[in-house]
Amino acid sequence: MNQETPKVKSSLMQNARIFYLVPLVAALIPFFANDYLQFMVNMIMVYVLVTVGFNLVIGNLGQLAFANTAFFGIGAYMTAILMNYAGFTFEIALVGAAISGGLAGLLASITALRGIRLYYLAIITLAFGELMRWVYIHAESVTRGTDGLPLPDVTVFGMSMHSETAKFYVFLVITVLVVKGTSNLLKSRVGRAILAIRDNELTTASLGISTANYIILTFVWSGSVVGVAGAMFAASTERVFPESFGLTEVIVHFAMVMVGGAGSLIGSIIGGVVLTALPEYFRQFPGMEELFFGVIIIAVLLFLPKGLVSLLAKVSPLFRERYYRE
Amino acid sequence: MSDLLKLAGVSVHFSGLKALTEVSFDAHAGEVLALIGPNGAGKTTLFNVISGYVQPTAGEIHFKGEPIQGLTPHEVSAKGVRRTFQNGGLFGDMTVLENVLTGLHVQIDSNFFGLLLGTRKADEAERAAAARARRLLALMDMDGFADQQVKSLSGGQQRMVEIVRTIATEPPLLLLDEPAVGLSPPMRARMMEVIKRLAGEEGISILLIEHAIDLVMAGSDRIVVLNSGQKIAEGKPNEIRENREVLEAYLGYA
Amino acid sequence: MLMQLTVSGFAQGAIYALIALSLTVVFRATTVVNFGHGDFVLGGAFGVYVLVVMLGLPFLPSAIAAIILMFACGILISRGFIDPIKAGPHIGFAMMSISLGYIFRGTTRSIWGREVLPMPRVFDIPPVFIGDVVITGDAMIISGIVALLLVGFFIVFYKTSIGKVIQAVYQSERGATLIGINVRRFHDMMWGAGLAMGAVAGILIAPISLLHPDLGAGFLIRGFAAMTLGGFGSLGGAVAGGLILGITEQYAGAYINTALIDITSYLVIIVVLVVRPSGLFGKRAVVRV
Repeated sequence: MNQETPKVKSSLMQNARIFYLVPLVAALIPFFANDYLQFMVNMIMVYVLVTVGFNLVIGNLGQLAFANTAFFGIGAYMTAILMNYAGFTFEIALVGAAISGGLAGLLASITALRGIRLYYLAIITLAFGELMRWVYIHAESVTRGTDGLPLPDVTVFGMSMHSETAKFYVFLVITVLVVKGTSNLLKSRVGRAILAIRDNELTTASLGISTANYIILTFVWSGSVVGVAGAMFAASTERVFPESFGLTEVIVHFAMVMVGGAGSLIGSIIGGVVLTALPEYFRQFPGMEELFFGVIIIAVLLFLPKGLVSLLAKVSPLFRERYYRE
Repeated sequence: MSDLLKLAGVSVHFSGLKALTEVSFDAHAGEVLALIGPNGAGKTTLFNVISGYVQPTAGEIHFKGEPIQGLTPHEVSAKGVRRTFQNGGLFGDMTVLENVLTGLHVQIDSNFFGLLLGTRKADEAERAAAARARRLLALMDMDGFADQQVKSLSGGQQRMVEIVRTIATEPPLLLLDEPAVGLSPPMRARMMEVIKRLAGEEGISILLIEHAIDLVMAGSDRIVVLNSGQKIAEGKPNEIRENREVLEAYLGYA
Repeated sequence: MLMQLTVSGFAQGAIYALIALSLTVVFRATTVVNFGHGDFVLGGAFGVYVLVVMLGLPFLPSAIAAIILMFACGILISRGFIDPIKAGPHIGFAMMSISLGYIFRGTTRSIWGREVLPMPRVFDIPPVFIGDVVITGDAMIISGIVALLLVGFFIVFYKTSIGKVIQAVYQSERGATLIGINVRRFHDMMWGAGLAMGAVAGILIAPISLLHPDLGAGFLIRGFAAMTLGGFGSLGGAVAGGLILGITEQYAGAYINTALIDITSYLVIIVVLVVRPSGLFGKRAVVRV
């Protein structure tokens, strides 16, 4: 028995390494894509991270939360603010965005320490998200309100990041690092604890796991990831507006998680890739975005509740998440 | 043998309902103490009160000399009192191995930043944990199921996994709630063997709720009998077997 | 000044109370929090707008038609969208209701775009003057109708046999099934009732506001703030919370800063959940772990 298992294990492991090929192949994209397509691909990476972050809270942890657009906006605005008023370059502003996103996650979830859960937590995150949007609009001296806050020349480590190609490679590195880091965390006691809390908080606590702390940790981590996505978004659009982080955006985030697969890291990537092009397309027709994404989520809930990744998981075990390592 | 667990005058009175009245007894290290009584006698309430899910309205509970009544389940668990649940407390979306690993959680030396940055120390701690979980499963002959989703297991197998998970937490005191219910006869026998081994070899103290009197008589060191929330007898199996009150309480039970 | 604010706040609060109550009715009956409710309240308003302004029908029949329409919508939602996913995780209900709300919002936005729709004045009752305080005709009508509706609701709830059925299911669904109540139909009816009550709120707001698709979000958050303040799940609390919220908004707007009117709800939610999560009349809101 012991002699057979290593062979099976190592071939599985080898298969999992296939995922490393994806960024390598992706690195070739700039050679084939024009500027508009490149811009789209960059946006895809932004939304992959948005979805990865959001999925941690609503998928893995299973808590309904509406603060995602707040984290996104905070990351974007913080980047713009740090670059404008503190003269930071992108790589430093990025760290600022991650930290502020994490702090926002902490604030949004701190009531979990007192035992706030479920719809109470959902409502307080909704209030938090809307409050932040009000702040972007009204703190005009800092954020320029609805005029939008432009970014000064975006540079990273001294090199200009103005071209879509430059942005692409920077985003690619960031995305790979964040996804890998998230995967490390999920394939560990942290990832298991989060899933356990989703299943049954009381039982989890009886195993000695401090559930409130892990709930907050998930929000902080999610906030940081989405904050980083916000920084990338700001660098991509080079001007930050409050409308980008409003209620229409909320349903887009939900849809990406659900379509890809709630609770699955690979699902998050799928959801981000599949759906990103659509918001851009629909922006021309008022109301279509909300209509379309609403319909998509309902369709998923009724017919494919575990998302596209569940279809892929039937084909190959690679797409079934494991929460341990050996 | 010192008193590991000491209950003194524990009562639980819900509005009008007297679930437990003045229950007192001790449990010693390394022994199997069975809790028996007719349905509704208050056995599960007693477990709930010891493990912090229910507050006693009177009385004290001491574990290793420290008072634990009034603590939350998490706090009681942290002190070393662990329990299993009647309706399975396994995590449905995980595999058997992952479930056992949640039992090892507090012993794994990996933290957020170590994992995030991919340090060797964190990675090795995690791998060692997986190996240990497989060994624990092997102890109970359950290692073949390690990579299966718990949902696909039978009730008896799930119960076994739950016990392995609880053992993984290395509890000084283990509360087992009807571990043999619904198990096939060979599995029941194995369950009792496992319980005796845990107490005898590993020195774990086990408090057991069980209806199967044959298992209780064969496997426990001492027995406490409850009826209508009160303790009516306490002693070794052969003493309890002869006890008049106990026989009356069980009139109708084989 | 204080009295004036209190009076106008009261009328506003009456609407919030109705929205919060309709949310609570559905929540208590089905344990589902309808995150799309704000948009359905707006549905009542848009329904009336279409019937009155675009089809030229008189107000009262249009209002009744809109209410019936929303009642039917409630049943449809319960049957077609909520019931099929009841085996899934609870978060699914929330997402379903949000999505339905968004579909509605997207539809109205596609039809009317950026236009803001004015309703013609419906009630022409002259204002009443008590000392320095002006009570507008609208305020009187709104408060009057809401008061009637609330009284009616509580009479039905506590005094009629239907009310007893509702109470029974609220207490224990399992028990209710055992005594022969068709819980599935009950859910449908409660969704219908909740949406119909919400529609009334929308209809009352319509003549005094400029309608546009984003109003729904504001209704929802105020409904939540009222529920949170009064105690989530408490029917009386929803009403009390709504009234207090309406009045508080007016005070905050006048005494501190007009910009605060928009965010009073957010602040109320945050303060209540931090200080006293069970609100004024609610049961325990926190998980003891």
